[in-house]
Amino acid sequence: MKLTRREFIKSNAIAATAVAAGVTIPGISPVLAKSKDAIRWDKAPCRFCGTGCSVLVGTKDGRVVATQGDPDAPVNRGLNCIKGYFLSKIMYGDDRLTTPLLRMKNGKYDKEGDFAEVSWDQAFDVMEEKWKAAIKKDLERNKGLPPEELTSSVGMFGSGQWTIWEGYAASKLYKGGFRSNHLDPNARHCMASAVGAFMRGFGADEPMGCYDDLEHADVFVLWGANMAEMHPILWSRLTDTRLTKEGCEVHVLSTFEHRCFELGDNNMVFTPQTDLAILNYIANYIIQNKAYNEDFIGKHVNFTKTPTDIGYGLRPEHPLEQQAKNPGKGKLSKISFEEYAKSVEPYTLEYASELSGVPADQLERLAKVYADPDKKVSSYWTMGFNQHTRGVWANGLTYNVHLLMGKISEPGNSPFSLTGQPSACGTAREVGTFSHRLPADLVVKKKEHRDYAEQVWKLPAGTIPGKVGYHAVLQNRMLKDGKLNAYWVMCNNNMQAAANMNEETLPGYRNPDNFIVVSDPYPTVTAQAADLILPTAMWTEKEGAYGNAERRTQFWRQQVKAPGEARSDVWQLVEFSKRFKAEEVWPEELLAKKPEYRGKTLYDILYRNGQVDEFPKQKVTDAAGNVYDNDEMEDFGFYLQKGLFEEYRIFGTQGPKKGHDLGEFDSYHKTRGLRWPVVDGKETLWRYREGYDPFVAAGEDVKFYGKPDGRASIIFAPYEPPAESPDEEYDLWLSTGRVLEHWHSGSMTRRVPELYRAFPDAVIFMHPDDAKARGLRRGLSAKVVSRRGDITARIETRGRNRPPRGLIFVPWFDASRLINKVTLDATDPLSKETDYKKCAVKVVKA
Amino acid sequence: MNISGVLVRSYPNNLATVRACLEGLAGVEVHGANPDGRLVVTVEDENERAMADTVVTMQNLPGVLSASMIYHQYEEEPDLEETL
Repeated sequence: MKLTRREFIKSNAIAATAVAAGVTIPGISPVLAKSKDAIRWDKAPCRFCGTGCSVLVGTKDGRVVATQGDPDAPVNRGLNCIKGYFLSKIMYGDDRLTTPLLRMKNGKYDKEGDFAEVSWDQAFDVMEEKWKAAIKKDLERNKGLPPEELTSSVGMFGSGQWTIWEGYAASKLYKGGFRSNHLDPNARHCMASAVGAFMRGFGADEPMGCYDDLEHADVFVLWGANMAEMHPILWSRLTDTRLTKEGCEVHVLSTFEHRCFELGDNNMVFTPQTDLAILNYIANYIIQNKAYNEDFIGKHVNFTKTPTDIGYGLRPEHPLEQQAKNPGKGKLSKISFEEYAKSVEPYTLEYASELSGVPADQLERLAKVYADPDKKVSSYWTMGFNQHTRGVWANGLTYNVHLLMGKISEPGNSPFSLTGQPSACGTAREVGTFSHRLPADLVVKKKEHRDYAEQVWKLPAGTIPGKVGYHAVLQNRMLKDGKLNAYWVMCNNNMQAAANMNEETLPGYRNPDNFIVVSDPYPTVTAQAADLILPTAMWTEKEGAYGNAERRTQFWRQQVKAPGEARSDVWQLVEFSKRFKAEEVWPEELLAKKPEYRGKTLYDILYRNGQVDEFPKQKVTDAAGNVYDNDEMEDFGFYLQKGLFEEYRIFGTQGPKKGHDLGEFDSYHKTRGLRWPVVDGKETLWRYREGYDPFVAAGEDVKFYGKPDGRASIIFAPYEPPAESPDEEYDLWLSTGRVLEHWHSGSMTRRVPELYRAFPDAVIFMHPDDAKARGLRRGLSAKVVSRRGDITARIETRGRNRPPRGLIFVPWFDASRLINKVTLDATDPLSKETDYKKCAVKVVKA
Repeated sequence: MNISGVLVRSYPNNLATVRACLEGLAGVEVHGANPDGRLVVTVEDENERAMADTVVTMQNLPGVLSASMIYHQYEEEPDLEETL
């Protein structure tokens, strides 16, 4: 039979889909699909969300031409979501950056100049000059000060999309080299509240359960997570369980109706912020009905409470901060079970129902499934909880419910924080690229943790500063105030992503005291606000590693070359380190402790330290014998990625915090990822429980070993109102978020023309009656106005998101309709994460 | 030219209706179905309709619970009708 190429490709598509559907289609043989028409296939985790799907990447003539859901991947089992389709295209947008661009006038750098092409040498020359000028001032100011009092005017805004070694190289360069803790990732905007609650509750970051719970649970509860659109593959696994398991139920809570409501058995739309009251009601219900697991709480739980009236993380002079009794306070105090029971007692069904607007019978149905000892419950949440001025509290209140019932750390019983970025866990959290962290759950504030990091990094004692650096929101404020002057933004689009851009971000970037560098594959809104743009190699143009939401670390090989002069983030960081001599960044008293570092560069000290450069240049091959490029290895002359990873691994296997072990570098290239802790090559599915977790000894049953006494904390926190609520003038709630076919700020997905047409512009999702009351209707242009700014967009009263009266939803992917001109930069005072889900606006005719 | 294989999932009792709706979309073919509600679908670019549009439309059809991309390949137009 003669076959055209079109028919051949189609047969491949049908064969792969038929396998995933579990059907046989006559005339289509999966054998055919194996003969790949000269395409080389290799695995890579998807570039988009935190699910961590594995994708087979098909390369032909040095270009990615095809992708397929990886049938051998435990996460996605051959499926991909619609975004997977764009993976083969995100690297080939027409406006891909291929050369450094510097703002210039008359052949020289000028902040008011226009972007002109320069070489990497010229780019780094200007950067070097600006960094050295800032560091010189720092050295002067810090003279004679102990590590706990050091301050810095150089900083970096990194990413949960960085590969593991990129985050690690950046952490070393900033904390160990430049002695600055002003390194924070964009994961601050999405995961910081989750981290805060894990540390407070369990003394160790990241979920105890894993995606296998999607098949083990009897009941699923979604709290502020639109999984159908944001985590479609996990949603399809959940859907399978709901459709095939007898008695399985799905409960959905949200401030507006979305696609998950289609499958939901108990759909609840609640008034913003009242999730705090609903969770306390569930705890109260469990206690009133004596449903709690007495044995479990007796052995494994401490009862505590958190300070209240803690403000909203605004600038200190803001009236709301002035009024707060305990701004930013979070120190827990122990209470008895009886005191805890008394604290949740006011949260009756009537009160919770009245406050939230959810009918009482629905709330009771929800409480009952948590309280039923025979039902396995998995709770999922994402930004609805995390982007919340009480985000740490909200996360914690969910753990309270699970801990009261002992429904935790076992198959199907799983409070699970989902992530939005592919390596928010693997890089931002595990490597510790936050302004307060070091690798493997260590923190800069603790001297013994700094000591340990300095020892692994072979640095003089006292190198790492002990003061917590500027977090994401504070970085923008400090840029505006002129305290942060040399600033590098890498692998994110923070001008578009950060709240209140009119009043904070833009003035900060354009402040004449500052030099702003942005590394990106595309000319994003952020890049265009910079002084220097560095072109970046992305995804499979480099060797990489990501860590997903279920603690799974996954690797990929470089598949293709980056275009033009584009270079990977890790190359940029390591290459830039060559520009600094120890004497130029460290004071004499530090150097005196390691005189052998005199005259050496930060490159020598940080990356040629006998560990990072331990693995010589070698050929990268797969099991089939295919050979892959590694441009960084070519350039530096050693296996940089392997060296960085193996050094980083020491923190997990030998560091002071138990249970953070990663496997050997080579093992990850052979597997579809492994979930840490990895001990003797074996991954861990459920942490803290005997039989699953190698760190829980026989007979211990359950041990939350992140805490010194092995007990998790139940933390009472009350309902407190949001920073801003609708009033007479600004009479609507604004919630922002994502849509299925665009990922985050759209800097990658909007580069694909086909996708661009699918959802061209952001719209205002609004209740039809709210529209009518303002003389508006579907399709008309309208203005969303807050106290801080306004945007214009079309009204949408139908479609996938259906807000209740009094609330609008606007997606944030559209660079021409920057909703963050409107949002408020109120944060959770504990996690410093912004609440993008609630502020007050009005909508008027445009 | 883009060609994709898509797995569409519906409630089993909606299978026939969903199948009919899918077949009404330009560039879409249904090649088979599992009685449990899963359908094997291919999508090809059509001039007026971008592939993503089609997939989003599919996802938003009544009775469709999810649409997952399984396979995608891009090929330059002139090569497509070449006999292998």
